[in-house]
Amino acid sequence: MTDRYTQTELTRIRRIAQYANYDRPTVHAIVDAGWICQVAFAVGEQAHCIPTAHWRIGDTLYIHGSNGSRLLKALAQGASACVCIAHLDGLVLARSAFNHTMNYRSAMIYGQFRVVEDEAEKWRSFEVFMDKIEPGRRHEVRMPDDSEFAATTVLALDIEQAVAKIRQGPPEDDAADMDIPVWAGVWPIETRFGTPVADAQPEAVI
Amino acid sequence: MSSSYPQTELTRVRRMAARAHYDRATVQAILDTGWICHVGFTVDGQAHCIPTAHWRVDDTLYIHGSNGSRLLKALADGARACVCVAQVDGLVLARSAFHHSMNYRSAMVYGQFRVVDDEAEKWASLAAFMDKIAPGRRQEVRMPDDNEFAATTVLALDIVEAVAKMRSGPPKDDEADMAIPVWAGVRPLETRFGTPIPDPAMAG
Repeated sequence: MTDRYTQTELTRIRRIAQYANYDRPTVHAIVDAGWICQVAFAVGEQAHCIPTAHWRIGDTLYIHGSNGSRLLKALAQGASACVCIAHLDGLVLARSAFNHTMNYRSAMIYGQFRVVEDEAEKWRSFEVFMDKIEPGRRHEVRMPDDSEFAATTVLALDIEQAVAKIRQGPPEDDAADMDIPVWAGVWPIETRFGTPVADAQPEAVI
Repeated sequence: MSSSYPQTELTRVRRMAARAHYDRATVQAILDTGWICHVGFTVDGQAHCIPTAHWRVDDTLYIHGSNGSRLLKALADGARACVCVAQVDGLVLARSAFHHSMNYRSAMVYGQFRVVDDEAEKWASLAAFMDKIAPGRRQEVRMPDDNEFAATTVLALDIVEAVAKMRSGPPKDDEADMAIPVWAGVRPLETRFGTPIPDPAMAG
């Protein structure tokens, strides 16, 4: 397997093409760093853009939901989807308004989802999802029983058409603006876990 | 003006309808929290989902870009768009795998964008965008010259069909699972500014 995704008509970056990155590990890292993706799909002429949790195994992206959700129904029927995972890393403050920008990492995947019918793949995908949330946790919680397993639809998208777009670093000002006496630089944006908030435990456990 | 957006066929939340909110203040607060939105639109049946910066002036959502970008062209041609701003606030760890969830705030706006042709509206919108990034900064930086102003397309979406969906709070476990001896609760996710990094090219 090549370590790069093939550039296609759909994944060719037109604006600021030097920010494009087709490396498989780069795309995967951006996908994995996100808890949710945005899935765009059309029903007739109307586009929808739905945020939902995602996870990845190798070159397959998974999402899930309740049987019968509008999102899953449309995707199961073969809608051409576009999945985006974007991380905002900072505001880039330049000396001119025009050269203000943002630092970001985004990954875009085009394709059609398939319903995961194979029970072994479906079960494995749940385990990996739990491992993403917290490694090892699936050995401590109650895993899905038959009715929960049946009530959940898992959809898979085999990642073939994908591209990342990344901007990092300081502002790039016009030479003529460099003497403007205004602070210029990057305000980093960081996302991190705060202090865990424990659920009230029932008396029986205390 | 009503304090709520009317519920329409497009904005009726079907899954977990109790988490839906149509009041204007809630939707607008979520839109304002985000620096970027995702714009869903279709070109010849193919869906696209493009992240881009957004800002809001009253009941109008703005985005911008270079003239001729694929996104802006399709939207200027009247594609039926769906704009989503979503923020994950925490992972909700339950006692069963099935009841794991996330805390989040999301806002969805449906509609068709229009190109902002009016120069006064366009200028005011760009000023509002600068104010969102850093209030007052537009008095210190060089604002767009004629070329820059002309090279930028601003698109506006009048917010008519919109809805928010939110979850907050602890996990909701089945009664029968409450004695499972596993930590349960919320791991909050916080987004904040880090220490500013001055441009290495800054004088002195």
